[in-house]
Amino acid sequence: MSLVNLSAVCAHLNNATKARLALTSIPNSNLHLKLSLALQNSGYISSVVRGGPTPPPAHPILGYPAANDEAEGIEPITRDNVASRRLWLGLKYWQNESVLGKIKMISKPTRRVNIDVEGLRRVVRGEESGFVAGIRSPEARECVEKKLGGLVLCRVL
Amino acid sequence: MNITRPARCLLCSFTRAATPSTRVPRRQFHPTPATLSNRKPKFPNVKAPRVEDYKPYTEEQKAELAKEYSAAQMAAIEAGEAAIDPKDLAEQMKERSDPMSFKYLDDFSVIEPGIDRHQRAPESNSDYNFKLKSEEDFAKDFGQFFAEMSDNATGADFVRFADNLRVTHGKEENELHPHSALVPDLFGPGETIDEPRVEEQKTAAEKGEKERSAEAEEMTEALKSLLLATGYTESQVKGLRTKTLVSHSVTNQTRLGKVRRAYRLSIAGNANGLLGIGEAKSDEPSDAKTQSQYRAIRNMQPIPRYENRTIYGDVKGKVGATELQLMHRPPGFGLRVQYLIYEMCRAAGIHDLSARVGRSRNQMNTVKAAYEALMSQRNPEQVAHALGRKIVDVRKVYYAGKI
Repeated sequence: MSLVNLSAVCAHLNNATKARLALTSIPNSNLHLKLSLALQNSGYISSVVRGGPTPPPAHPILGYPAANDEAEGIEPITRDNVASRRLWLGLKYWQNESVLGKIKMISKPTRRVNIDVEGLRRVVRGEESGFVAGIRSPEARECVEKKLGGLVLCRVL
Repeated sequence: MNITRPARCLLCSFTRAATPSTRVPRRQFHPTPATLSNRKPKFPNVKAPRVEDYKPYTEEQKAELAKEYSAAQMAAIEAGEAAIDPKDLAEQMKERSDPMSFKYLDDFSVIEPGIDRHQRAPESNSDYNFKLKSEEDFAKDFGQFFAEMSDNATGADFVRFADNLRVTHGKEENELHPHSALVPDLFGPGETIDEPRVEEQKTAAEKGEKERSAEAEEMTEALKSLLLATGYTESQVKGLRTKTLVSHSVTNQTRLGKVRRAYRLSIAGNANGLLGIGEAKSDEPSDAKTQSQYRAIRNMQPIPRYENRTIYGDVKGKVGATELQLMHRPPGFGLRVQYLIYEMCRAAGIHDLSARVGRSRNQMNTVKAAYEALMSQRNPEQVAHALGRKIVDVRKVYYAGKI
């Protein structure tokens, strides 16, 4: 679990949204994939597709590459091509502003921040917990439903 | 002291000595009122119904009264005392607390035409056999008036005669106060709902005209163009909250020397979600002030407010080296912010807020950064649209939309 690479991803996403890109790619890793899927589930990015060094073809209707594109299909990962795989993320914009806004690391490569369920509850209530500031924006929040603590990676502002 | 109070408290009241100095509320200059007593009774006091006891005057009291009042007045007092039963008096004078009691104070001495039963002249006032007077009758009346006229008669006598002159034969009430089946007018002759009396109406109209003409003369070109640009009336502009927050002088260095001018930064708001800032420079400070205020009024923009009291989320603003953070707060928190942001919140109608101004605290940049921060709020509905997710205000759900 390389937080250095994750920091690079965060910085890259910030740069890409500032440049108003519709599609960008990040190195493929299980951590990056999980994070991307979490962002997609929360609605911050539109699509996550694992592809090669060139962007995968766009979905005929959606206009951006989609993982469930039946016409094109997805190239299976093999031992030969795994090193060249990248994650292609579709970025979202709304009313001339990027939906992702700014993504920021909380754990740093030099300081990993862990949080337990109790601390997570406090954060969701808007209070500070450890090195994690409380959630003070009115947006809907990640649930504490799963009752899982863990390493705090990054936060979308 | 109440019997039901526990003994512990009873003892407390003995042990606690009277405060040596007068008690002064600690936060004297705070907008939220401070309560003097820090204890509330646990249960609302239930007062026993107070029965007024009206006793008749004693002989001594009557003797005292007799010194003040004449014999006739004393007789009236005694007659009144004899006429009214003290029990009745106690019942009638009591303030009613029953559910059917009136919710307002009124002695019901005046008949309100809209509320009370119609007051009509009795039917017996009617005279169905009345006849209009002929010219001869009028001539006779006039003749009688001139014949009976005294030597030193004035014009007033004639006016009185003309006013009292009847135009019909028959019952006098039929002409002066006839019976009518129609609902009486809500207003007297010449009255309207806005202007209660004709005389007052006239004077008010005259006054208004005078004021209006004076105002039209007084109205400056700048104000006229402001009204034209914003579509507000003059009274609406007067009703806005304007405040000059920053004032200093600026200099322009030319080859002729330093040219000083006055700088003013004002804010304007309607205390209901609109806020604008305007800045102006002029040779005359008063001129700069009015200019900046008019500009602030022109620049007024709606500011998103959560529940019309605080902001959506925490927002940041940065102008120059001034960085500030505005934080939303729960109801009743108040405006715990520095004075510039306080004035802005007052003008905009924000009631719960706290703020932190970091790095530079330049006045002008603070105001601008606070405005920027207020305008950078993200509307949750728009965020929901952007994310493609449903966002629900939990407070509203919890309180069943009653906030």
